[in-house]
Amino acid sequence: MTDTKTPEEIESIIESIRPCFQCGICASSCPVFRVAPEINPRHAIDEIVKTGVIEPDGTEWSCAYCLMCEQRCPMGVSLAHLLVAVKNISTEKGNAPEGLPEIIHSILSTGVIAQDSDLDKMREKYDLPPLKRPTAKEVRKVLELTGATDLLELYQSKGVGSD
Amino acid sequence: MTVSRAPSSILFGIVNLYYSIVQFCQVQLVFGRGLASESECVSMTKSESNPESEVESTKREIHHAGEEVRIGVFPCRCGKNIGAVVDIDEVAEFSRDLPGVVFVQDNRYTCADPGQKEIQVAINEHSLNRVVVASCSPTMHEATFRKAVKAAGLNPYLCIMANIREHVSWVHQSEPELATLKAKELIAMAVSKAATLEAQPEQDVNVTQAAMVVGAGVAGMQAAYDLAEMGYLVYLIEKQPTIGGNMAILDKVFPQNDCSICILGPKMVDIYQHPNIRLYTMAELESVDGYVGNFHVKVKQRPRFVDTDKCTACNDCVEVCPIDVPDRTDQNLSWRKAISIPFPQAVPSAYYIDVDTCLGMDLIRCGKCIDKCEQEAIKPEDTEQVIEFDIGVIILATGFNPADPRKTPRLGWGRYPNVITTLEFERLINAAGPTEGQLVRPSDYQEPKSVSVVQCVGSRDISTRSGCSNYCCAESVKCALLVKEHYPDTDITIFYQDLRMHGKYFEDVYRKAREQGVKFVRGRVGEIQQFPDTQNLRLSVEDTTHNELIMQEAELVLLSMGAEGTAGELPIPISTTEDSFYIESHPKLAPVDTSTAGIFICGGAESPKDIRDSVIQASAAAGRASVILQKGRYPIEALSAKIMQDLCSRCGSCVERCPYGAISQDGTGKFTVVSALCRACGTCAGDCPKGAIYMPNFTDEQIFSQIDIALGDNPEEKIVAFACAFCSYRGSDLAGVSRMQYPTNARIIRAMCSGRFATKFAQKAFEQDAGAVLYSGCHLPADCHFQTGNHFMAKREPRIRKWMERHGIADDRFRVEWVSAGEGKKWQGIMTEMSKVVERHKEELASRKVAPPKKKPAKKKAPAAKKTTPKKKAATKTRKKAPQKAAVKKTRS
Repeated sequence: MTDTKTPEEIESIIESIRPCFQCGICASSCPVFRVAPEINPRHAIDEIVKTGVIEPDGTEWSCAYCLMCEQRCPMGVSLAHLLVAVKNISTEKGNAPEGLPEIIHSILSTGVIAQDSDLDKMREKYDLPPLKRPTAKEVRKVLELTGATDLLELYQSKGVGSD
Repeated sequence: MTVSRAPSSILFGIVNLYYSIVQFCQVQLVFGRGLASESECVSMTKSESNPESEVESTKREIHHAGEEVRIGVFPCRCGKNIGAVVDIDEVAEFSRDLPGVVFVQDNRYTCADPGQKEIQVAINEHSLNRVVVASCSPTMHEATFRKAVKAAGLNPYLCIMANIREHVSWVHQSEPELATLKAKELIAMAVSKAATLEAQPEQDVNVTQAAMVVGAGVAGMQAAYDLAEMGYLVYLIEKQPTIGGNMAILDKVFPQNDCSICILGPKMVDIYQHPNIRLYTMAELESVDGYVGNFHVKVKQRPRFVDTDKCTACNDCVEVCPIDVPDRTDQNLSWRKAISIPFPQAVPSAYYIDVDTCLGMDLIRCGKCIDKCEQEAIKPEDTEQVIEFDIGVIILATGFNPADPRKTPRLGWGRYPNVITTLEFERLINAAGPTEGQLVRPSDYQEPKSVSVVQCVGSRDISTRSGCSNYCCAESVKCALLVKEHYPDTDITIFYQDLRMHGKYFEDVYRKAREQGVKFVRGRVGEIQQFPDTQNLRLSVEDTTHNELIMQEAELVLLSMGAEGTAGELPIPISTTEDSFYIESHPKLAPVDTSTAGIFICGGAESPKDIRDSVIQASAAAGRASVILQKGRYPIEALSAKIMQDLCSRCGSCVERCPYGAISQDGTGKFTVVSALCRACGTCAGDCPKGAIYMPNFTDEQIFSQIDIALGDNPEEKIVAFACAFCSYRGSDLAGVSRMQYPTNARIIRAMCSGRFATKFAQKAFEQDAGAVLYSGCHLPADCHFQTGNHFMAKREPRIRKWMERHGIADDRFRVEWVSAGEGKKWQGIMTEMSKVVERHKEELASRKVAPPKKKPAKKKAPAAKKTTPKKKAATKTRKKAPQKAAVKKTRS
């Protein structure tokens, strides 16, 4: 159960974004575009629809997954989900950011990305009960079911760390 | 409930004694509202009412079921269109031996004048009482041949066509032998149906010489005025206290930017003074009963508390009224009183009291206006009135509402005072508006130095309305020009997505705006934020032509509001689109007609449109309506369902299925069909558990016999394809016209609507070993020409599949498809795919040679299983659901 995209899957991703009529509301709403003008989500969609290929160029990793574009898109195109797919393809090709395996390993072994956080102290300050920590086992299962574990293996097999 | 007087029954179906149901027709009840209205009954043509009289010497009406059937078959070569593929001589020879056929004559062009003459001569010389023309599609020439046989004295309904061009010669060009075989079988099917065809009386009903127009905006006014000018009495119903609609509150109207009320005002007065127009303001439809030509309407009029005849609009009452109410005309930007007039030019020119806010029309609670009014025009005793009248036609001009800006919260309307809608802008720039034409921003009453216009608010967005609202681009450019006209130094930017300046003279307006320095930026505004100190606004928008984010600061923002549909609020069953606009009968060829005869639509109720288009459409609707009024009588569909009372179990399922409210139940529990309302779609018959509904000329027996003949030879190779007359049959015709080749094994059976395709037809076909069965109708959800027939057909699919599963019939041998008249290619694809299924099925049969004889007894059981009572069926329903799903899954994987 790897996450390697078959041509049909890629076609169905492109299919889902074809309704886009390039109004630019996603770019108008994108917090990343505001600070990084080289990352234009509208443009990204246009490229994919026009060329018919998904060619990750690294900018997909800047998406903050805030879902503002998806919420405002007048055509119901899910740009954020497209970018997740692009991130996956990027990973398959061994182009994930360097820190990614580290993060996933942390999640796999401990269930969280960062062990120490001020969150609990802050919650305490506001009289909120501490959050329940996810167990590593549960998280591992989620990652296995979503194919993230396989994807990570695939990524590492490409020997990214080697260069 | 209205009292129905002694049922005015007229003997209605003298000739149709096929089933000995007495056809006393009590015309009542319409639109499923349960209100009965006495009404005049269906009349008949002269010859029908006196069948025995030989007044029109040579004309004979042949319709006695008991009489010897004498069928004439006329195969046509259609030049080389049919003749080059189908061996017409062989077909003619074959036809001679078919039961009931007494005469066969082939022809080069049967539809041409000599060909028609030959049919007429043959009818007389050979005493033919049924005619089968084997030529092109009935959608092409059925009317032609019906007319021809009628001229020879035969009832037009006794003529039927076999489609051997679109369904044979054009789609099987390289297989002449198989094509000839198919042609023969199609003719045999037609002949078998012809034998039991029944003559139908050509009926018409009287038309009341009056019309009702609902909604007195610019469209309703125009429609009412046109009809009134033609001399018809028009009842004009308006919900608001004044007529004029949305146009009355606009300042200027594009493209010439003339003053709106200045051009509308005189028209409003014309309406008020017209002797043929009965105007009811503050009135709403309560109920509509009846049918084309004979509608009975109840209108509820809210009390105005002011006598419109006495009121001189002197304003004295307003001066003393202590209650302030937000002013609707001014878009709540100013106040009016509890007694008020919407605007100075209002028609009727009289005040009205807003009873919800008035303190009380007596001297104890307030009563100041009563005291002050010298004309004694105020009537505290005024009450709600119910007005009833009869009309022949209805025009719906209920308009649209401006979209609600609160549904787009990201743009800040309601939170930020300086974000206003274009309609609010219209009032601000209007000399009669709250600021007397001064454009100021609401937060500080200062003239804005910079204005931004945001396009497509409430339009082209799946979260509000996905459609374009048509008028807003021109509206925005007009607003920009108005700003420039009054305040030339204002910096004004329009943020548009696609500027649609499509109308006459619109391009000139656009050019003018550019020339005057209005800036246009292509990009949809993401969000608007307010600077807390200045209350200026910041728009974030991507300039899509330059791929860059713009953070535009503006002192005032106009939201260009689209339209919101209001259709569907009336007690009239006209289908509406998802966004609440009325659906026309045909988008191109009948754009102001509706699926209900005698009801027309125009203006904003049909779709968002500007004033010019509304007026054009209103005149069109008035013209279409007058066609019915002018003739005085209206022909109604001769075919209509009949309920066989001895079989009817009175379950009432037919009532739910009838989209026209044509089936009603009388006091004794008996269901009857009002033939004037019935359009003969057959959806009721398709689902009748007792088979108690009789569809003349599309009877169960006729369809069964067509299936029998279609499957006479090599049934396992055949596809029995049921196609609805309006979409799918035409789609199959288009495949023919486009010469799209497909295998020859399909036998197409036509019915009025897919709603007629009963479960038992597919069962019957499979019992006869059909290779595959297709049910094809108009596309879901809204394409059905009988409104909902396709939905009811779709509901039968799981039942049929369940039955197939029980009888070991492979799931893929049955298909339900939606094919429009434009989808010839799709039809070809379906036929080709199904032929492959049939091919596979044949191979399976061949591989287990012993199977066919074994199968027979299993099939014999089928009818028994079918006859389980509805109750039992319901009980098995839930149990069978799971395996059904599994079966579907299997085929998918």
